[in-house]
Amino acid sequence: MGYRRRKSKQDKLIEEQPGNEADVKEPEQPSYSQLSRNIEYLTKALKHSNDLKIRILNEGQAALLFFETLSDQEKLQENIFTPIENGKFDSISKLPNGKQTDDLEEALKVLLRGHALYIEEGSKSLAYFSVTTTYNRSVEEPENEKVVRGSHEGFVENIMININLVRKRLEHRDLTIKYFRVGKKTNTNIAIAYMDGITNPELVKEVEKRIKSVTADTILSPGFMEEFIEDNPMSPFPQTLSTERPDRVIANIMSGKVALMAEGSPTVLILPSTFFMFYQSPDDYNARWVSGTFIRLIRLMSFLIAIGLPAMYIAIIGFHFEVIPDDLVPPVKSAIDQIAYPPFVEAFIMVIIIELIREAGIRLPQPVGQTIGIVGGLVIGDAVIRAGLISNLMVIVVALTAIASFVVPSHELSTTLRLLTFPLIILASTLGFIGIVFGILFILIHLVKLESFGNPYFAPVSPLRIQDLKDTFVRIPLFKLDTRPKDANPIKEQSMGESREWKRNGKSKKSKQTKKSK
Amino acid sequence: MANQKNQNKPKSQNDAAFLNTKITRLQFFFLIIQTQIGVGVISLPYNLQQVAKQDGWISLIGASLIVQLILLLYWLLLKNTPKQHLFMNLEKVFGKWPGKAATLFYCLYFIAVGALILILYTRVINLWMLINTPKWILMTLMVSAGLYLISGKIKVLARAYTLFSGLMLILVVSLIYGIRDANFIFILPIGKAGIEPILKGINEGVLSLLGFVFVLIIYPLVEGTDKEKLKTIFYTQWFILGFYLLVVFSTFTFFGAKEILLVPEPVLYMLKAYEFSVVERLDLFFISVWIVSVTTSFTTYLYMAGKGLKHMLDSNKEMPFMVMMAGVALTLGLTFGRGEQLIGQYGDIVMKFGYLFSGLLPVLLLVVFLARKKELTGRDST
Repeated sequence: MGYRRRKSKQDKLIEEQPGNEADVKEPEQPSYSQLSRNIEYLTKALKHSNDLKIRILNEGQAALLFFETLSDQEKLQENIFTPIENGKFDSISKLPNGKQTDDLEEALKVLLRGHALYIEEGSKSLAYFSVTTTYNRSVEEPENEKVVRGSHEGFVENIMININLVRKRLEHRDLTIKYFRVGKKTNTNIAIAYMDGITNPELVKEVEKRIKSVTADTILSPGFMEEFIEDNPMSPFPQTLSTERPDRVIANIMSGKVALMAEGSPTVLILPSTFFMFYQSPDDYNARWVSGTFIRLIRLMSFLIAIGLPAMYIAIIGFHFEVIPDDLVPPVKSAIDQIAYPPFVEAFIMVIIIELIREAGIRLPQPVGQTIGIVGGLVIGDAVIRAGLISNLMVIVVALTAIASFVVPSHELSTTLRLLTFPLIILASTLGFIGIVFGILFILIHLVKLESFGNPYFAPVSPLRIQDLKDTFVRIPLFKLDTRPKDANPIKEQSMGESREWKRNGKSKKSKQTKKSK
Repeated sequence: MANQKNQNKPKSQNDAAFLNTKITRLQFFFLIIQTQIGVGVISLPYNLQQVAKQDGWISLIGASLIVQLILLLYWLLLKNTPKQHLFMNLEKVFGKWPGKAATLFYCLYFIAVGALILILYTRVINLWMLINTPKWILMTLMVSAGLYLISGKIKVLARAYTLFSGLMLILVVSLIYGIRDANFIFILPIGKAGIEPILKGINEGVLSLLGFVFVLIIYPLVEGTDKEKLKTIFYTQWFILGFYLLVVFSTFTFFGAKEILLVPEPVLYMLKAYEFSVVERLDLFFISVWIVSVTTSFTTYLYMAGKGLKHMLDSNKEMPFMVMMAGVALTLGLTFGRGEQLIGQYGDIVMKFGYLFSGLLPVLLLVVFLARKKELTGRDST
């Protein structure tokens, strides 16, 4: 029930916003006073679609139109017929939960939104009632963003439920939701959420501008929006963080970012995003700060392993064998001596095998997927070494790389990392260490150049903001995180006052006084 | 007069974007450091030892003092010409056409230095890591990295240099590791060779410190008061002096006077000698990190050359000139990088010009500016 009430509010909002479809002049068609002409116009406009139901009432003096596929029969009964049967009202058009219009084009729109339309002979005013039906999945933990501790709720495909999940966690009047309609044909409902008074108004303006400039016919998911609104679509790096977790969205909204949700998808985009946001997981904040820091450092290390390890190995084997210490030379040499292929080909085959196994495992049902993993990983891995196609060291290196790429808490970035391995492998096999250095140099320069909604992507490392490093490589205790990160230029930086003064009570009055004087 | 005004207008507009970017003092610090520290690191001790024997470090300090004096003179000029970079000052102080000519010479000098950096870096790589790799591949790699960096304008340059400076830590740590085996007797007795070699050594020292002319171009962008900026400038020089002294001391005390003359790249030979249980050949890793420093130096010179050319021709676009200059650097590098002797001669000539463009010309600029100060500032206000 709660959702429905909000839905009607939303309709009002959308109708009130002229900016949404401002570029195209709204077609208008005043309604006729004859019932038949009205119905004829509507059915023609809807191409005589079979699921449009017309119920003739009052011996042909009135009609009720609705899409049976969009409307809920029970609601129809409850909202329209029950009050009439109870005898409180004599006519359907006088029911208080209906709204009036005299524009047939608008009537078309509300019909498509799942409303029921009531038309009377001899009256130009059309009444419509919200009887939309929705089929919802329950709120479950997102498969790809599981956490050990903390909330296990995830977003669903219904934008109203998603906004509800956000509002429930953030009960403050400053939480602002703005609706947009994008996709000329799909007419997808999109919402942005931000904290007024924390989020930079410039940022909100920029986001709105970019959303409004989308003119595509089809917008199916935030993935579509992402490519339309991001700064640099040519970059391999994802510039907007997508998440299905309400707690992650709240945390980001509270640090001055904007969340973008879309009807029909559980994925929410965070704008702007920085590179290091992809390495933060809600788990870090649920765990104790020391362990949170440790895990985060491991994750960031995995970045280096994921993009650099195979390249490093190939460079050493192919060019700089002298780097290996004396004691390690015999085992390494014996491992690669019998292999027919150059290390470059070896690495390539192995990386491709792993990608194949991964891709096959995703599409298949879980029990079969596991079998593929075992067959692929264990059997092929073992056989490939015994057959002498690939050295056992290479298997270790590539397997470790694959694992490291999965450590990133974001699926998009994980794919990016595995993609970046290839150019580095090629560079390493042609130029050794020099190739790796230049490869990484190019990646770093690219990261430094990249901007997400006008904010530097590689912040707070470049440009260096020492203040913000406290939640980047490490995660210092929460009560010390008293300023918001400058990633999104929030207009209110302070995020907490003094929280642990009881600890200092009586110990030193001096420090307290200086704090006060500040 | 009206005609002149029209001509001046687009210029002030196209530089407005550049002059409106703000860089912090920290970024300024790293921009200067990354420009000055570059190819020189590897062969500096050898060059000093050749001329000043074990007193090379005294020469280095002397050289740094001279550079600091020059920078102070720069500052006197820059303080009086806010919102004006080098090429604007040249035109303003010397007059339009002489200024443009000077700008052109500056561009040629900058790109010649860029080419020299390419040559020296390729030589080291060919000697130490990739013996058979053609020079043009190595040079193209560096040039394209530089161009890619420049395509993001000065702000990205500042951010990237700050980021890359983290790598200097690796260089510093590996050099400090070298001190472990230091034999301080090697630098004694102090002043044995006499004053003359030390003075000659100053020449070598100054050459390794070149690149500070970059200050003249980016100074107007730095945030803060003139005094704070001056402080930052001095900090950069002290940092670089400290770093170079570390290089010189660690190698001088490791090899000793006679030995060092046999090894043209003493830093690398020193690191090569160390063995760890995890990796060997620290020198290879050192070179890998050093390449980044070289790239930043090269990029700065390329940037200054392209910037100058753009300014000279009053154009709104920047990248075409950068690409052009990159092509020139590549051609120069491939032409003069073909033989040891040729490299030596080319290097000598280019380095000599350093005195003219980093020392003489800016000081002349200051003198003429001071002489015409009333006239110049007076015209501005009307």
